[in-house]
Amino acid sequence: MGSIQIQQLTKSFGDTEVLKGIDLDIKDGEFLILVGPSGCGKSTLMNSIAGLEDVTSGDILIDGNNVTDLSPKERDIAMVFQSYALYPTMSVSRNISFGLEMRKVPKPEIEQTVADVAQLLQIEHLLDRKPSQLSGGQRQRVAMGRALARNPRVFLFDEPLSNLDAKLRVEMRSEIKKLHKRLGTTIVYVTHDQVEAMTLADRIAVMKDGQVQQFGTPYEIYNNPANRFVADFMGSPPMNFIECVVMEDKLVIESQGEKFELLVKHGDRLKQVGADTVILGIRPEMITEPKPHVEGALVHSIPMNIEATEPMGPDTIAFGQWNNTEIQARLSPEAGVHAQSKGKIVVQVDTSKAVLFDAFTGARLDS
Amino acid sequence: MFDYLERQLPKLIMAPTAIVMLVCMYGFIGWTAALSFTKSRMLPQWEFVGWEQYERLFANPRWHVALDNLLVFTVLFIAIALFLGLMLAILLDRNIRNDGALRTIYLYPMAVSFIVTGTAWKWILNPGLGIEKMVRDLGFPDFEFRWLVEPDMAIYTIVIAAVWQSSGFVMAMFLAGLRGVDDSLIKAAQMDGASTFRTYWHIILPVMRPVFFGAVVILSHIAIKSFDLVQSLTGGGPGYSSDLPATFMYTHAFSRAQMGLGAASAMVMLAGVMAIIVPYLYSELRGKKS
Amino acid sequence: MNTSTLSQKLSKAFFITLLLVFALAYLGPLYVMLTTSFKGIEEIRNGNILALPETLNGSAWSKAWSSACTGGDCYGLAPYFWNSMRIVIPALLISTAVGALNGYVLSQWRFKGSNFLFGALLFGCFIPFQVILLPMAKLLAWLGLANTVPGLVLVHVIYGVAFTTLFFRNYYVGIPAELVRAARLDGAGFFAIFRHVFLPLSTPIVVVSVIWQFTQIWNDFLFGVVYSGPGTQPITVALNNLVNTTMGGKEYNVDMAAAVIAALPTLVVYIVAGKYFVRGLTAGAVKG
Repeated sequence: MGSIQIQQLTKSFGDTEVLKGIDLDIKDGEFLILVGPSGCGKSTLMNSIAGLEDVTSGDILIDGNNVTDLSPKERDIAMVFQSYALYPTMSVSRNISFGLEMRKVPKPEIEQTVADVAQLLQIEHLLDRKPSQLSGGQRQRVAMGRALARNPRVFLFDEPLSNLDAKLRVEMRSEIKKLHKRLGTTIVYVTHDQVEAMTLADRIAVMKDGQVQQFGTPYEIYNNPANRFVADFMGSPPMNFIECVVMEDKLVIESQGEKFELLVKHGDRLKQVGADTVILGIRPEMITEPKPHVEGALVHSIPMNIEATEPMGPDTIAFGQWNNTEIQARLSPEAGVHAQSKGKIVVQVDTSKAVLFDAFTGARLDS
Repeated sequence: MFDYLERQLPKLIMAPTAIVMLVCMYGFIGWTAALSFTKSRMLPQWEFVGWEQYERLFANPRWHVALDNLLVFTVLFIAIALFLGLMLAILLDRNIRNDGALRTIYLYPMAVSFIVTGTAWKWILNPGLGIEKMVRDLGFPDFEFRWLVEPDMAIYTIVIAAVWQSSGFVMAMFLAGLRGVDDSLIKAAQMDGASTFRTYWHIILPVMRPVFFGAVVILSHIAIKSFDLVQSLTGGGPGYSSDLPATFMYTHAFSRAQMGLGAASAMVMLAGVMAIIVPYLYSELRGKKS
Repeated sequence: MNTSTLSQKLSKAFFITLLLVFALAYLGPLYVMLTTSFKGIEEIRNGNILALPETLNGSAWSKAWSSACTGGDCYGLAPYFWNSMRIVIPALLISTAVGALNGYVLSQWRFKGSNFLFGALLFGCFIPFQVILLPMAKLLAWLGLANTVPGLVLVHVIYGVAFTTLFFRNYYVGIPAELVRAARLDGAGFFAIFRHVFLPLSTPIVVVSVIWQFTQIWNDFLFGVVYSGPGTQPITVALNNLVNTTMGGKEYNVDMAAAVIAALPTLVVYIVAGKYFVRGLTAGAVKG
């Protein structure tokens, strides 16, 4: 009903190439999130899918039909904008029904649709108001209502939650997720917030400089990042990147003048690569206070100095230094207090999920 | 197919305006320019004579009077209007909260036609029945104020009427500019112990430079185009002593059957306006791009 | 905290007095026009211009309106008043409508050369009309519109569109582009977006444009004097003729009454909607 294929899509503004050959295969009913830093091209890609921007080359197919040359009206797509873009002189109910009016839908059907949508989003009491009389969260709902009323094949969301305060954002996030479950329509969603991406997406496309860096499920992206950029971008607090000297099939960690050897999962690859140093990528939650673990796992004990701690509530982030690089560890609150007072702690380092990157190119060495 | 039409719609909508503009502004300017190089008198005659009309123009004593008058008029008009406008704006800005009524009074002259202005001032400056008589009745029997009929002074009457008409506009521009000055700048100056005068001189006025320039550009534009006021106030007289380029052009192109000469004078007027507007627009638009 | 010392209070009083004196000076001419128009001829000759009229004699007004001589005819200003109306109203309606559509295109539907077009239009606002007087006369003659009211309407529309386009374009660039995108996705086309999104938001700028155009066209003299003939002249031309035609003794009271009649419509517009007028002046001028 709403599958999208994007094939070799390029888009240039004058001499600047903003999209450099995008290939994406979005399944019908999927919740796809485009995430990346500002300027990566995600909004341009979104506008191209909507038909609001012409493409320089490449194709866009919806349900197998090539829509690349079709106007936005003909693509049967609805969009929720970052600024909501509600028509300021129209009432809420007219804002919702405007698209149906333009498509010459008969009046009784319009009225029914508006009523249904208003009930779904709990905005029935706002139908006669103008956008200026609504709060931010209410406007957001109306913007969604406008998109829902069209019953399109695809929903596009352009950073719809970035103008809301933190609490409202969390609320609306779960509303959107519930809506998707209920309607089953394909959603393409743009955000710069990687937490949003991880929680909402069926699959994520991480973008940088006009290219898709990785396209996979949240799990894949988090645990098996394609390159250093993706590994660094996703995850909060971010992954630790430690440049380590290679000793045959092991890595060397230097902490407070002492050297320790680390075993990693694809240690044999290290010998094949033959580099002197590699970048070890290991997430803070893999560096903890000593915990019960499976015997024989890739678990090590390494001392760590404490430069600072950040109590987060459920755990405490501890900052230290290995190999002249700042690293972050996730400790339990009690361990954190203890570490702070002592100024150091011996941490448990689990490298079973660690990844390795080339020291120069940032490419994965062990996938 | 309809989609293609729809995409071309913006261009189609602008096309009539673009064509009309091309013809009626730039095309016409070209036509007038071409005419200025011909022998045309009562009707256009396309016999080209090079710069002859311009030579005749600048050998014409009446044109020189018009140019001198333009210089005198423009300088005085701009200087006095700027001074008055700025002074009124400053006085209003600091002293009155509800300045709506006063602003209305200073600005209303802009709402009326230059013909009305000329007619009114022609009466006020009437030698014998106007201000002269009024001051004489107040006890100064030898007071004379006959500028309107004195060839050397007639141009100054035009300055007076023009200032009355346009200084309110300058005031409005300056007032808007003054209101736009950041309050914190003034407070900082007060903390530094600056007196009111110094605050204005060193801090506020420099910020108003763009407004100054804008006002000068607009006022000089008004000055160069001045036609209506002269026609109604002095008729260009006595004789042609208060002639301006605009009235010169009109008389020669239409009444005196000297189209070529009239066209040449119009082109000189255009050159004068462009010399001011083009640098101004260029610097404005360039500033906006950044 | 007491901030006003005696010297501050005195200087403030001085400045306010100064402002009031100037106010009187600006009102002066209007005062003189009105008082003179209600005086009899003898009273004018013997009295002085600042004196109030002894009795409110309205004969000058009826003469100015219906029987004063404007050159060859002696029908007063009335027919020319209506000429001006017949010129101004169509001209301002057409130039405002065209300006609105043009401004819409230039602000939201950029195409190759649209910026250049805008620059050319902007420049056109500044040219002295002396350079187009002669060729325009030829064009009007060729169209068969010489010395006619429609001819003048055409001229005012052509040269008014540059200004109205400027107003509307500068106003419409303030409307967020996302609104247009949302409307396109909703299936609205070029005209539908204009009608449903832009037009409802346009009231302030339409008022500015109408007031500006009304004032400019009503007060125009140059186009009026060149492109009209006997019977089709606007009121400014008639006024000038009336004042400069001396048949017998000069009737200053009639002259003044006529001047006030000619000024009344724009004065009324200014008093009623003055703040929009100011906004129009400074928006069009300062922003270029």
